[in-house]
Amino acid sequence: MKNDNLLKLAEDLVAFGRKKGATQIEVSIGQGSEFSLDVREGEVERLVEAGSKGLSLRLFVEGKMARASSSDLSKETLEKLVENAIERAKLSSADLLAGLPEKEVISVDIEKLKMWDPAILELLPENKIAVAKEIEKICLADKRVKKSYGSSYGTYTGETFLANSNGFSGSYKRTSCSSGVYLQSGEEPNLFDEGWNDSSRILSELESPEEIAKKAIHRVTRLIGGKKVDTQNVPVVFEAPMTASLLAFLFNCINGNSIYLKQSFLAGKIGEKIGSDLVTVTDDGLIPGAAGTKPFDGEGVPTRKTVVIENGVLKNYLMDTYASKKLSMKSTGNSSGTNNFYLSPGKSTPEEIIKSVDKGLFLTGTIGFGLVPTTGDISRGAYGLWIEKGELTYPVAEITFSGNLGQLLKGIEMVGNDVKFKDSITGPTIKVAEMTVGGK
Amino acid sequence: MLDMNRRDFLRKSGSGLAAGIASAMWFDLIAQGKIPPPTASFFEERFGVSPEDMKKILQIALSKGGEFSELFFEYRVLNSVRMEEDIIKDSSENISLGVGIRVLKGAQTGYGYTDDLSFEKMKQTALTAAAIASGMSKLSVANLTQKSSNLQVYDLKSPLNEMKLSPKVDLVKEAYDAIKSYDARIVKAQASLMDEIQYVTIANSEGLLISDIRPQVMMVASATAEDKGVRNTGYKTAGGRYGLGFYQNIMTPKEVGKRAAQDAITLLSAVDPPAGEQPVVLSSYQSGVMIHEAVGHPLEADGNRKKTSIMWDKLGKQVANPIVTIYDDPTISDYRGSFNIDDEGTIPQKTMLIDKGKLVGYMQDRLSAKLMGMDMNGHGRRQTYRNNPIPRMANTVLAPGDANSEDIIKSVTKGFYAETYQGGQVSDTGKFTFSVNMGYLIEDGRLTRPIKNATLIGTNVQILNEVEMIANDTQFFLGSCGKDGQSAAVTAGTPTLKIRQMTVGGRQ
Repeated sequence: MKNDNLLKLAEDLVAFGRKKGATQIEVSIGQGSEFSLDVREGEVERLVEAGSKGLSLRLFVEGKMARASSSDLSKETLEKLVENAIERAKLSSADLLAGLPEKEVISVDIEKLKMWDPAILELLPENKIAVAKEIEKICLADKRVKKSYGSSYGTYTGETFLANSNGFSGSYKRTSCSSGVYLQSGEEPNLFDEGWNDSSRILSELESPEEIAKKAIHRVTRLIGGKKVDTQNVPVVFEAPMTASLLAFLFNCINGNSIYLKQSFLAGKIGEKIGSDLVTVTDDGLIPGAAGTKPFDGEGVPTRKTVVIENGVLKNYLMDTYASKKLSMKSTGNSSGTNNFYLSPGKSTPEEIIKSVDKGLFLTGTIGFGLVPTTGDISRGAYGLWIEKGELTYPVAEITFSGNLGQLLKGIEMVGNDVKFKDSITGPTIKVAEMTVGGK
Repeated sequence: MLDMNRRDFLRKSGSGLAAGIASAMWFDLIAQGKIPPPTASFFEERFGVSPEDMKKILQIALSKGGEFSELFFEYRVLNSVRMEEDIIKDSSENISLGVGIRVLKGAQTGYGYTDDLSFEKMKQTALTAAAIASGMSKLSVANLTQKSSNLQVYDLKSPLNEMKLSPKVDLVKEAYDAIKSYDARIVKAQASLMDEIQYVTIANSEGLLISDIRPQVMMVASATAEDKGVRNTGYKTAGGRYGLGFYQNIMTPKEVGKRAAQDAITLLSAVDPPAGEQPVVLSSYQSGVMIHEAVGHPLEADGNRKKTSIMWDKLGKQVANPIVTIYDDPTISDYRGSFNIDDEGTIPQKTMLIDKGKLVGYMQDRLSAKLMGMDMNGHGRRQTYRNNPIPRMANTVLAPGDANSEDIIKSVTKGFYAETYQGGQVSDTGKFTFSVNMGYLIEDGRLTRPIKNATLIGTNVQILNEVEMIANDTQFFLGSCGKDGQSAAVTAGTPTLKIRQMTVGGRQ
C-alpha cells in the first residue's frame, strides 16, 4: 500500500468510527522495513529482512474508552475492530477527564529534525556484512578476548501516520542504523561478558568498525580477574551509560501515570528540592538527529523541551493528555514515553571525577532489576573497577549496590562533561557521595 | 543495548495488552469434542492459504540452495480489560496475523516475515529468506502430511476469548474490590485481565504440516499501601492455559486481589536487608526464578552449541549437589509454559537437565539439535511470526527433596528468607541475580522482620553445589522470559530450599 494511502486509511477509519457512534477516535499506523544480520566466528549466522505494518486505535463513547490494534489491515477486519471497540467502550465507565487532546498545530519543520538519512536506504547487504565481519575480526585478534557471541548490523526505516477526530492528521519518516559486538573474556569459572553497540539516525554518525571493536575490547578485558570486595559504604562513580540507566528509572518515577497512581516517591513533590544543585534533567523531543526526536507524540501532541529538574528542584512531570488532566497540568508530549531525556553536562572530565575519589566503586555494569518506583529503592547486581587514591585499580565482580534514588539525587557531588545523544536516554559520568556495596 | 546478551525473567506485568474476533463457532465445537485436533484448514478457510500454496512457497524458499525451509503461520487475538481508580478505564482487542519464513543452511539462518498472506507477498518473502544460501536448488519439498500432537495440555472448556466483556469486568471488579476492602491503608488498586488465543500452523520442507490452538489467561493485581509517609506496592499474578474455570475453581479473583493487598501491607513495616554473604532460604512461593536463571538459561542448547555457556563442556559431569534434580516439562496440563507442539512443530517431551547432580541434557530446538548431533525435545519457541525460533524453557522444575520447610528455617541461626520476586537475570558466564520484592530475616530459626527490595547475586556453578536442603512443597512462579529480544510465557517451580551461603545486596 502506498504511503499516502495509509494516512487516508487512518482518516477513513476515523470517519467510520464517528459514523458508528464513537464520540472521539484516534487511529495510528506504523509501517517499517527491518534488516538485521549477525556474524559469528566470521560467518553470517542469521539474516533477517522484512517489511511490516500495524494499526492501533483508541476511541471514546461519551468518556468511555476502548482500544484495539491489528497487523491485518483488511477493511473487513478493521471495521469489525472499530465496531467491537464501540461495544466494549459502552461497557466501560465514564471518565470525565478521558479524551483526545485539543488540536495543536505542528509548527516544527520536520526536515530540520534530521530523522531521515537516505544513505541508510542505499546501503547494500554486502556492505553491512563486511562491517560486522570487520568488527568481529578486530576483536578476535586480541588474545585477551576468548569468544565472540557475534557482531551485528541492523538498519530500520519506518513511517508513522496519525489521524484523529479532532482534525489532526500527520506523518513522519525515520531511519536508524546500529552495529555492535558482544564478547567473552577470562578463564573458567571466572568468565566475563561485555560488548558495545552504537546506533544512529544518520549513517555518517555511526561509529566506525574500529571504534566499536576498540570499545568492546576495552569493556570486556578490563573486567578480567574481577573479584568480590568487602561489604562497605563508599562513593560510587557511574560511567555515562550507567547514568543513563539511572535516568531510565527516574523516568518511571516522574512519569505522570505513576504520579497520579501514587506509585512514585516523587508524587506531590513539585517545587521541592529533590536533588543536589548540580542536577538538571530535561526532556526534549526536538534535538536534530537525536535518537528520541519526533515532531509529535502518539496522541498528536507536539513534542517540546520540558525541564523536569532544575538545579535540584522538581519542576515538572512528563505526561500524556490524560495524566496531565488528572494532575491539572499541561501535557508535555510524552504519550510515547521519553523523547530525548538527559542529565545536563557539568564541568568535570570523567578523569577528574575518578581522581577525586579516595576509595570507591567505578560502576560500569549492572545485572538484574531491583528498582521500585513507589519507594525509589535501588538494589542491583554490579560490576566495575575499584578506585583507590584517585586511580582505577582492580576489577570487581559479583557485588551488589543499593541505595535510594531520592538520597542518590541529593548525593550527586560531581557531574561530567561527557553527554552524547546516541540514545534517547542519556547522561554524563557522575559521582554519588555514598551507596552500600555488598560483597563478602 | 548494553544488556543485549542477557536473559531476563520478569514478573508478568499488566501493561498494554489487548483482544478478539476469533471464530467462535469453531471453538465451541472443539470444546464439545466434536471436531478433531486443530488443522491447517484454519488458514485456508480464513485467509485462503492452501497446503498446495504452502508447498510451493517452501520450494521457492529452497531455490537458492537452502537445506531446510519452514513456514510459521500465526493468528493471535489478545484481549484485555483494566480497572483503576474505581472504574473500568480501558479494554482492548489486539490482532496479530502473519507468516514467518525460515531457511537453514548449515549453521546459517535466513528469515523473513510478512503480515500479508497473498501468494505474491509470501513468494517475495520466501526469496528474501532464501538468500542466506547462494547456489542452485538441490532439494525438493516432500509432500505435506497433516500430523497432530498426541498431547492436549490446554483447558478449552470455557475459553475467555469467546466471552463478552461484561463477565470479564465482573472478574476484574471482584479482584479490585478485594484489594480495596483488605485494609484502610490501601490507597490505590489496579486489576486487569488478559486472555489470548493463538492459532499456529507449521509446514516444513520435510513434509510436516501441524497446527495448534493455544489459550492463555492472566490476571494481574497490584495494591499500593500508605502509612505514616511510607508507601509500598504489592503484586499478584494468576493464570495459565485455562478458560473461565481457572478463576472459578483454582484461584478466585478475590484471592488474587487479597494476596497483592497482603504484600503491600506487610511491606509497610519492611526494612532494608543486611548486606553481605549469609545463608539464604528460598521459599517455594516464587523461588522458581532461581532455577530458571541459574540452571535453565545455561542449559538452553544454543549457548552450549556455541560454547559460550559455562555448561557447554559439562555434559555427563557432576555439576550440583546430588540432592539436586532439575527438568523442564512443556507437557504439564494447563500450565502457562505448556504447549502441544513447539513453534517448530515438534511434539515436546519432559526433558531431564540435571539428574542427582549430574548434567544429562540440554533444551533443544531443531538447529542446535542437528548441529550437536542430538535429538530434538520440543523447546524451539518464538515470540511471534516475526521471530526465528530459539531454544527456550517452558516449565522448569526442581524436583522435591526429603526435608520439610520448617526444619529448613529452623536450621538457620542468622540469614535471609526470600519470598516474592521482581525477576532475575543471568549471563552466559553463569553470573546471575534475582531481585526480591519481599522476604524476611531469619533469626534463631524463626522468621522475624519483613525485608524489602533485596538483590541476591551468585554464579550458577557455585550455587548448585551450595544447595543444602530441599523440601517437598513445590509451587510455581508465572513469568515472561526475555532472551535475544523475544518474550516467552514460562513457569518455574521449586520447593523451599536452603543455600549455604550467598551474597545479599542490602544497605548498611
